[in-house]
Amino acid sequence: MSMIEFRAVSKNYRGRRVIDTLSLKVEARERVVLFGPSGCGKSTVLHLIAGLVIPDSGDILINGQLVATARKNLHEPEQRGIGMVFQDLALWPHMTVAENIDFGLRARGIPGKERKQRVKDMVELVRLGDYLNAKPGALSGGQQQRVAIARTLALAPRIVLMDEPLSTLDDALNVQLRKEILRLHGDLGFTLVYVTHNRDEAKELGTRTIHLRQGRIDQASDAGCAA
Amino acid sequence: MEKRLTLAAAALLLAVIGLLPVLAMVASTFHVDGGLSVKAYQALLVSGKQQMLLMGHSVLLSLSVTFLATVAGVPLGVLLGKSDLPLRRGFVVLFTLPLLIPPYVIAVAWFSALGKGSWIVPALTPATAELLTSALFGLYGCIGVLFTAFMPIVMLLTIAYLGAVNPRLENAGRLVARWPAVLWRITLPLIAPAILFATVLVFLLTLGEVGVPTFLRYPVYPVETLTQFAAFYDFSAATAAAIPMLAVTLAILALEYRLLHNRALELRAATFGGVYTQIELGLWRLPLFGIILSLALVTVVLPLAVLFTQSSSLSAFVEAFSRASDSIVRSIAFAVIGATLLTLLGFFCGYLIHNRTLPLWRSVDVLGLFLFTLPGTIIGIGLISLWNTPMTNAIYSTPAIIILGYIAQYAVLPMRMTSAILERIPRSLEQAAELCGASWYMTLRQIVAPLARRGLITVWAVGYVFCLRDLGVSMVVYPPGSDTLPVRILTLMANGAPSLIAALCVILIVVTLLPLGVVGLWPRHGVRRS
Repeated sequence: MSMIEFRAVSKNYRGRRVIDTLSLKVEARERVVLFGPSGCGKSTVLHLIAGLVIPDSGDILINGQLVATARKNLHEPEQRGIGMVFQDLALWPHMTVAENIDFGLRARGIPGKERKQRVKDMVELVRLGDYLNAKPGALSGGQQQRVAIARTLALAPRIVLMDEPLSTLDDALNVQLRKEILRLHGDLGFTLVYVTHNRDEAKELGTRTIHLRQGRIDQASDAGCAA
Repeated sequence: MEKRLTLAAAALLLAVIGLLPVLAMVASTFHVDGGLSVKAYQALLVSGKQQMLLMGHSVLLSLSVTFLATVAGVPLGVLLGKSDLPLRRGFVVLFTLPLLIPPYVIAVAWFSALGKGSWIVPALTPATAELLTSALFGLYGCIGVLFTAFMPIVMLLTIAYLGAVNPRLENAGRLVARWPAVLWRITLPLIAPAILFATVLVFLLTLGEVGVPTFLRYPVYPVETLTQFAAFYDFSAATAAAIPMLAVTLAILALEYRLLHNRALELRAATFGGVYTQIELGLWRLPLFGIILSLALVTVVLPLAVLFTQSSSLSAFVEAFSRASDSIVRSIAFAVIGATLLTLLGFFCGYLIHNRTLPLWRSVDVLGLFLFTLPGTIIGIGLISLWNTPMTNAIYSTPAIIILGYIAQYAVLPMRMTSAILERIPRSLEQAAELCGASWYMTLRQIVAPLARRGLITVWAVGYVFCLRDLGVSMVVYPPGSDTLPVRILTLMANGAPSLIAALCVILIVVTLLPLGVVGLWPRHGVRRS
């Protein structure tokens, strides 16, 4: 049973077909990189998996369970057990680092003491222990990146989606954070779907790379073949 | 250089038209019987208890209206701006309608609805009818009418700022929580500055309102200022009485600025375009539709329907035109001139605020907001203080003073709207023209103005609506034989037949809304940010 499965999924935006009868499978603990030019539908695939966008046709299954079908979300985003790091990170600017990480835990009704411990664990995991009470605006780009990852991992999601999360960072930081993502994946064992148009990132992070073109799979390859 | 000079001239013009009258008014309070004196303030202090009572009434009314407008306006804004509720746009138009007409017209409509001869009263029990009629005259009636008139401000600002929130911030929340939690802990805190700004606007507009409390006989402070001026012809007492209102307005704006200064920047930093997120109401869709429909029917449709019904006789309209056709024509002419000048001045001041070309851009913005929130009666008294001299009689004794009042009171609307319109035009388009050697005026004429054309037409229409509905400024400054339609209606209310008043109110509504209809039908040619 695959962790993520698309069965002939299509999605249109304003009359333009963004995803075109796409079928794909992602296995548990796999690191899949979606690669392709701008506008090829990479981010839309992530939004479809997360439930933020509803397919026009086709089925989406998570862990063997049907979560969305034509024009209908059967499971809302918060019910899918998915974490996502957005391209612009989407850190809530009015909340501190701790509050950003705590939000999802609170929404799940986790008791206060346990939440506090989990927040602490997460900031330790991403090596940001000194910044618990800082607001995102006061952090550097790399630190913000780590907060976004900590927030995503706080609920121990089975699937982590990353939408070009390193695209705005300089090369050195980019390389360093790639290593951290691999370390976290090794430690926590989630399924990773990673969107990028950077060949080096695709090579290093993916166990499999899927090339998208005009909403269809153009080519799929194992690690190293993407470039 | 030409850019800086023009923008500085626009800022100076706003200061002369808006700030100078206020300063002249303050100065005139110390000028009694040809010398320096604090007599006017002494007289004010003598009647201190009465003044305090009136100010208490004003504050109580303002707080009540602000509370209700916020409690209803924010959820309404969320539902109409962000959910899949049926007929959302229709509801937005419907709820906005009372904001576009003078508030006292709504009071007249309710008076018609609950008065003798109404088709509503027979449907109620005598006790209920009696209760409603007595409640209309006094605090509760004022609260109800002004709530209907000003709630759209909170609703519209909520809708506007919801659209500016980065959807990814909400989507990040939706992955772990349901919509109510996302709204409560992410979306609403992000737009809190806008909500606070809206509540401050509602508070200050209610505080300065004279038409509704006068009609519904609830004694408030601004009416006292007007009475000193209009009934007792005691100008120094009127100006002195205006000072506490000026102080309250300044204090609240200063507090708002202090509270929002950093948070507003945070919101701006957090907002940029993205995919629009919509709340699916599911099973709540129809019940919520029913509740909102009921609210719209009771607060907007019912009173206006009664007003229209009461005016629906040819004789009423014939009499209305025979008694007020001059005021109708004047009102339209003044509004057209006022809106045109407002659009021009607002464009340059808005450009200055948007581009921050001169260091004084923030002062211009604050001055515009201050003048907008200042009661119209006080601006009127300020204008008289400044222009009532033999040398400036050409302004004081002609409709020019009304136009100056419009510009002073409403300049902030075109300024802020122009600034928002310019935000949508990429700066690079202007820079490209400059690199081609175009002068600034040429760039404005051939690049900026055509791209902003539709927005500027909307700015003009909004200016027209606010000039036409104005009562506060025009009832204080209008020269003999130059009264506007809202002023004429208010004076006719004392002895005019209800059908005549209703017909005049209907005419006022129609001529007010006409340009908005034209703008609504204007073809769209927008510029999208790439």
